[in-house]
Amino acid sequence: MIHITHLTKLYGSVIGVNDVTVDLDVGAHGLLGPNGAGKTTFLGLITGQLRPTMGRVEVFGEPPFANPRVLRRIGYCPAADLAERHATPQAWVRYLVRLSGFTGGEAESRAERAIEQVGLDSASRRPIATLSKGMRQRVKIAGAIAHDPDLLVLDEPFIGLDPVARHELVHLVRGWSRDRSLIVASHLLHEVEALDAGLAVILGGRLVASGAALEIRSLIESLPAEIRVRCFPPQRFAEVAWRSTGVESVRVESEDIVVVATRQPAALAAVAQQAAADGLAIAEVMPADRSLEGIFGRLVQLHRGVGP
Amino acid sequence: MQMPSLWGAVAVAGFQLRRLLTPPRLAMAALGAVFPAAVMLAASRASRGRLDPDLAVVLLYVLIPEGLCLLGLLVTMCPAVSDELERGTWVHVTVRPSGRASLLLGTFLAAVVWTGSVALIALGIALAVTKVWHPEAVAMAFSGLIVLSCIGRAALFALPAVIMPKRALVASVGVAIVVEYLAGVLPAVVNQATVSLRLRTLLVEWMGWRRKLPVEIQLLVDMQPAWVQVIAVFIVAAVFLTAALFILERRQFPPSEEV
Repeated sequence: MIHITHLTKLYGSVIGVNDVTVDLDVGAHGLLGPNGAGKTTFLGLITGQLRPTMGRVEVFGEPPFANPRVLRRIGYCPAADLAERHATPQAWVRYLVRLSGFTGGEAESRAERAIEQVGLDSASRRPIATLSKGMRQRVKIAGAIAHDPDLLVLDEPFIGLDPVARHELVHLVRGWSRDRSLIVASHLLHEVEALDAGLAVILGGRLVASGAALEIRSLIESLPAEIRVRCFPPQRFAEVAWRSTGVESVRVESEDIVVVATRQPAALAAVAQQAAADGLAIAEVMPADRSLEGIFGRLVQLHRGVGP
Repeated sequence: MQMPSLWGAVAVAGFQLRRLLTPPRLAMAALGAVFPAAVMLAASRASRGRLDPDLAVVLLYVLIPEGLCLLGLLVTMCPAVSDELERGTWVHVTVRPSGRASLLLGTFLAAVVWTGSVALIALGIALAVTKVWHPEAVAMAFSGLIVLSCIGRAALFALPAVIMPKRALVASVGVAIVVEYLAGVLPAVVNQATVSLRLRTLLVEWMGWRRKLPVEIQLLVDMQPAWVQVIAVFIVAAVFLTAALFILERRQFPPSEEV
């Protein structure tokens, strides 16, 4: 369905997407990455808003940039908020359906159906500006699905949604991807996992991992855990830690912080006890970097062959 | 280049016109519609009711097809792209088949309809308070001039709107001054591509002033008949719009510029 070869997008000297090669078959796919990773640029290239600086992107066998044949088959829900003040959801979605080539009556009924699908029928005649963020999010999704595309692309679709709305949207999107294709970009792993989608992890414009969700999770879980130890003097603690088994790296980060990477975090307790017995002052032991940024950082290291 | 869908352009035009139906915009339009009449009344009072009818026609020409149309088009055509970027709607439109072309042509249609309507209302009010020879003939001639002015200038402003969307208003004022009012009065080949030369010539033709004009003023109008001027306006508009479409089809905005 999507065939991407050495795809690069530059904004002047800033890299948006960097040498990405990937094939995405028909089905559901999650695009995972922290903010600023290049997800929106990647989606912009797939949905024909941006033209590659280098490389090639083909959607349904053709380059999508300003290509009506491809664009007719794509529905896109961008991450940016919809600041259309005066139009109602019904008028806005009908307008988008008409831009997709449908005439008045057909556009009206498609818009109505899409608004009903996203559960906005009670608010369909209210100005968009008076709707909550979550409702505006649903308006955008209705606009993306109303013309019945073969590929639905959602950029951070769960932002601003309460848990109930999130659950409903997951249900709607999963139903959608049963017989059509779906790409969902998010910076939250559990959101993408909930969609039963294959995963591609992007960071710094590069595709650092791709595969089934389970594979990516086991890859993340196979990474050594980083433990941050506040102690004094840190150099002595580093020496003790480095001699113990299971420790993969030790880094003195500041005057009283040592970061230890290990696959056996439990073993570090013994190290700390030994160090305390040796007269070192240990103030704190805590996981250093289990944030998504940290996990992505380790994935990049794996990608570059730097990590374990 | 994508072929614009007629229905897409009509949809955009309808949507843009509904966006214009806000109290501030309507108040601005009402002000624009009565302003020429107010100026004509003031001129008539200043001349103690003896304003020369030909001079009154020239004043009406400066106020409506030149002044009012130009101002109206500046506020309706220039934000064709920047408005969409600010509202976060650009991306919604550009992922539609022929969305970009429909956006430009639809905004062009809306600008012509809106500005043209305000200018025609202004003409009706101004003629009601102004003494001119054969008001019906003046009304007919000016209606044609208003339509041509809107078509030609909206197409001209489409270029700055797509080339530098965020500075489109300033750029369009510059283009109006340099192209329409500087190049347009140069007695050289360059003025052939301006709408102002065609409108001036049509005013002279349709008012039957050709023989009355002093020699030095004849340099400011074209020698060709009226139908040539009308066709020339449509050709100039088609060239500007095609160039604007060509550029817009290739425009890309980084995600950070949208909103």
